[in-house]
Amino acid sequence: MEFRGGYNILLQGKPDRLTEVLPEPEILYLPLCSRRFEFTEMLVREGQRVKGGDVLSRDPDNYAVPLLAPRAGIVRLNVVKGHIVLEDISKTEFAYTERGELGHIVRQMGEAGIKRHKLLELGAWQFFYDAYTGALPDPLGPAQAVIISTLSLEPFVARGDAQLQERLLDFTRGLEHLQSLLEYQPMYLVMPDISSDFASQVRRQIRGYARAELIEIPLKYPYDNSNILVRHLHLKKNDGPVWFVRTEGVLAIDRALTLSKPCLSRIVSLGGPGVRMPIHMKVIPGYPIEAIRTRCVSPGAVRMLNGGILTGVPAGPETLGLDTECRGLTVLAEHGEREFLGFVRPGWDRSSYAACFLSSLRAKFSERFTTAMRGEGRPCVSCNFCEEVCPAGIMPYLLHKYLYGDLIEEVELARVDLCIECGLCSFVCPSKIDLTRQFVEAKRLIEREKEEIRREQLKQAELRLAEEARRKAAKEAEY
Amino acid sequence: MKFLLDILKAVRPSFEAGGRLRAFKPVFDAMENFFFAPAAVTLAAPHVRDPLDIKRLMSMVIIAVLPSLFTAFYFFGWRLVPMIIVSYAAGGAVEVAFAVIRKDQINEGFLVTGMLFPLILPPTLPLWMVGVGVVFGVFVGKELFGGTGRNIFNPAIVGRCFLALAYPAAMSGNWTSAGSSWPGRMLEYVTSSNVDAVSTATPLVLAKQGELVSFWKMLLGNTSGSMGETSAIAVILGGVFLILTRVANWRTVVSILGSAAVLAGIFHYGQPDRFAPALWHLCAGSLLFGAFFMATDPVTSPVTNAGKWFYGIIIGVITVLIRNFTGYVEGVMFAILLGNIAAPIIDEVVTKVRLRRLRLEEG
Repeated sequence: MEFRGGYNILLQGKPDRLTEVLPEPEILYLPLCSRRFEFTEMLVREGQRVKGGDVLSRDPDNYAVPLLAPRAGIVRLNVVKGHIVLEDISKTEFAYTERGELGHIVRQMGEAGIKRHKLLELGAWQFFYDAYTGALPDPLGPAQAVIISTLSLEPFVARGDAQLQERLLDFTRGLEHLQSLLEYQPMYLVMPDISSDFASQVRRQIRGYARAELIEIPLKYPYDNSNILVRHLHLKKNDGPVWFVRTEGVLAIDRALTLSKPCLSRIVSLGGPGVRMPIHMKVIPGYPIEAIRTRCVSPGAVRMLNGGILTGVPAGPETLGLDTECRGLTVLAEHGEREFLGFVRPGWDRSSYAACFLSSLRAKFSERFTTAMRGEGRPCVSCNFCEEVCPAGIMPYLLHKYLYGDLIEEVELARVDLCIECGLCSFVCPSKIDLTRQFVEAKRLIEREKEEIRREQLKQAELRLAEEARRKAAKEAEY
Repeated sequence: MKFLLDILKAVRPSFEAGGRLRAFKPVFDAMENFFFAPAAVTLAAPHVRDPLDIKRLMSMVIIAVLPSLFTAFYFFGWRLVPMIIVSYAAGGAVEVAFAVIRKDQINEGFLVTGMLFPLILPPTLPLWMVGVGVVFGVFVGKELFGGTGRNIFNPAIVGRCFLALAYPAAMSGNWTSAGSSWPGRMLEYVTSSNVDAVSTATPLVLAKQGELVSFWKMLLGNTSGSMGETSAIAVILGGVFLILTRVANWRTVVSILGSAAVLAGIFHYGQPDRFAPALWHLCAGSLLFGAFFMATDPVTSPVTNAGKWFYGIIIGVITVLIRNFTGYVEGVMFAILLGNIAAPIIDEVVTKVRLRRLRLEEG
């Protein structure tokens, strides 16, 4: 598939390439929920002293992915709802010892199985995504291909280039390790420019150790999305799962497999118009958000997002610390003042998809976006902007029309499942229709209905079997 | 502007549920949001939105039509002003009445209809006819279908079509000559009974009698015809602005003008004495105005980009056919209405093909 659609929103407050190490916190608030995980299987007691790297909890629904203690400290379970609090923390680190009960994995998968298990236990597996669903892939399962992306195009999440600074060696070693997990499956390394110095350096370094095909993609949101990439690479869903890893994931693999050390810190971007100094920061999960707020965020009403402006979720006051999956914090000023005759203003400082503002005469610039809706909800006027920006090649206005008429079957036939929830259609819509949210809901509804049908079919089949067995038994009894 | 905000805040309770004027909530909302940007904030991802809203989108059309407004004023006099006022007042009343009945918002789409409607009428049309036409257009062409966004036909064209069928004499037999020397007719109030306003035929009527008005005259607008459409240069100026701002889609315009030019060119090549050349046809009558301002209405044209090509070709071809082979001298109005009818079908076909391709692509 050729790339299509896409649009770069230029937001003020782009995080700097340099990475800042934040000061050690005194207390950690580890959220038990993040995008994919819900750590419900508690493995520590109230008041227990843990070492850094100890497993605090696991998510039983996601291959028992562990929540590691980023630092040594005393566990408090009941202080803050939905969080594990670590008090009295210090930096002693725990060394990984391979445990005894791995015999079955070795028998099944050999050395690669041990390595995969190690990745899971040391917290590196969390950086793997299923390219189709975005979920955590099976750590011991097969993959038809691996896509490694060095890009993060959404404003703003931690960028690959910020993390690759001076860590090229670790990165290429991580690629070698990744290769050793696989048998013959292809690895695709996605880069913005495959003829750059950096790309040729990578190519030189990995020659002979890892076999990765370099793929060049334009720097346009959301071409780094895993669903778009698998379609671009013509990978078929039926051929098995595709793993999707970003730069930080490869670095985590290297750390886990070369040093056998848990991956405790991560690079998180902090950007947006509401931030005084947009930076990348090296932090540990559980880092108190309040500390970041007082340190870097300008005063006033702001909305803090866990993630970028297009797909992030608000990090409300109930979230006290960074979760284990956070890739970026974006801070937007809340919309306050109502502009007088806003719609007739020349608009020198507003950048729009359509060239309806004077700003289209000036060079590209980063706008100071707020959370304002910037217009009233109106019926669709069929301007077709949503289709033009849609990277998935579906027709958002058509889906909207079908959803408006409750035609859920048509919605399914119009391939709502291809929607990657990038948020661009909602962004450009002049009628301010929440298209993305409608599609997310529709997808969930369709999924639920399918699940129900499956369950019903299963039940019918079981009933049939039971009926047959009963008849057989009755026949036998007759003889 | 704080005092205005304070006034709005003070009178708001009487428009809210339980207030005496609660039926007029749509009017209050429209006023409030006209003066002050809405206070709404995003609730879910994406957390920021494009600054463009429907108000701005519609304002762009008004800006684009300014050159044509000026030439209409220059060549046909300041009777334009009462015509616009009547058009806005009568059509606005229908729009507000429906918003109140439906308890829905007042849509900005009407601002464009009300402005474009007088420009596609003969300069001397009685004011009451302007009112009747716009009321019919907005009521039948838009509100009956459910309001802006759900209408099939362009309301301004529906209004004009009604007038053309109901009052053929006033609509096609009563053309005023354009003011030729400075300051045009800017200081005149031209009515059909004005001695000074000589009744002349439009270029298309003259062409039927074998007389071609010069191309330059039509480019400037110094001919008779509907108020806004005579000056090709003004229409092109505004139209190009609309295309550059992406409010109008270039595909529609290019395909209408392209197909009309090609077909007219073929006819002219075959029988140069009987048919006017292509360029002349482009500038004559309301082809340009219709292509740039009427056919590009996003609501009534196909949504899909591929569909816009077919839509444009239908309009362009039908226009030239009507002009050259029927008793009517001008066919843009009927062509656009026919295009509007075809638009949903075109969309249906194009989306079917696209969906099939999507399904094949993904296996």
